[in-house]
Amino acid sequence: MEGMVDIQIHEAACRGCRMCLDICPTDVFAFDEGRGMATVQAAEDCIACLSCAYLCPSNAISHHQFHAVKNFYRDISFCRRMERFL
Amino acid sequence: MSQRDEEELQRTRETLQETMNFLGAVAAGLEDAVGESAKSITYLAGKNLGHRVCVGARRTNDVEEALVELRRVLKENGCLWTFDRFYSKASRSTSAQEGADEVLLVFRDCMIRQALFSYGHPQKGSLCNMMFGFFAGALETIMGRTSRLEIKHAGENACLKCLTIDR
Ligand code: SF4
Ligand code: SF4
Repeated sequence: MEGMVDIQIHEAACRGCRMCLDICPTDVFAFDEGRGMATVQAAEDCIACLSCAYLCPSNAISHHQFHAVKNFYRDISFCRRMERFL
Repeated sequence: MSQRDEEELQRTRETLQETMNFLGAVAAGLEDAVGESAKSITYLAGKNLGHRVCVGARRTNDVEEALVELRRVLKENGCLWTFDRFYSKASRSTSAQEGADEVLLVFRDCMIRQALFSYGHPQKGSLCNMMFGFFAGALETIMGRTSRLEIKHAGENACLKCLTIDR
């Protein structure tokens, strides 16, 4: 397993919708009722699925130091043969 | 690893990824044609594959050792299908249900997810079921035990799954 993912919430951008709390499978976020915004409470549990970042309507969440999935491998000759059937 | 080995590995992965893309299209067509039973078909195909690739694998009854062996088999076959154990802040061990061991796994590089995204197919469909079948077949061969792999969360960059292995 890699080291801990670095997650940042842009405080001015967060509109307090709680969607990140709902989507996160490992309960990384908490909600600060006083400030009406999401906070990071357990960054060490983040699996870097990036669902929160994709979902956040304010684009307020960013991740650093995580494993980005490898790019697609393209085998052009195999592709050409197979595409005849697709 | 020598340059020649690396080129060979790259070629194997390219071919596997394209095969997976092809299977993705077939699975999507299958879902349209036969509905829910597409999942049983892909599950059984995956299970058969899991049995076959693990024929020469080391046998063990230990969950940790079985996962290490499965990773080794995948690597040996040039598969870019990486998974890690997930331990939350609160738990640090294999949890035991009545009559079963339960572990959480994070899947990062996944040929199936990449294939689905490349053609815009949704996750958690019949191709993901092929992976459940693959794990069930592989672990049945390595451990002699039945198992289930359930998706807890399918994300854009990683998925969280719960593996339950019957005792
Ligand atoms: S999803 Fe974005 S805007 Fe909504 S609470 Fe989370 S960080 Fe704030
Ligand atoms: S990347 Fe996934 S695991 Fe990490 S905080 Fe976002 S939703 Fe939670």
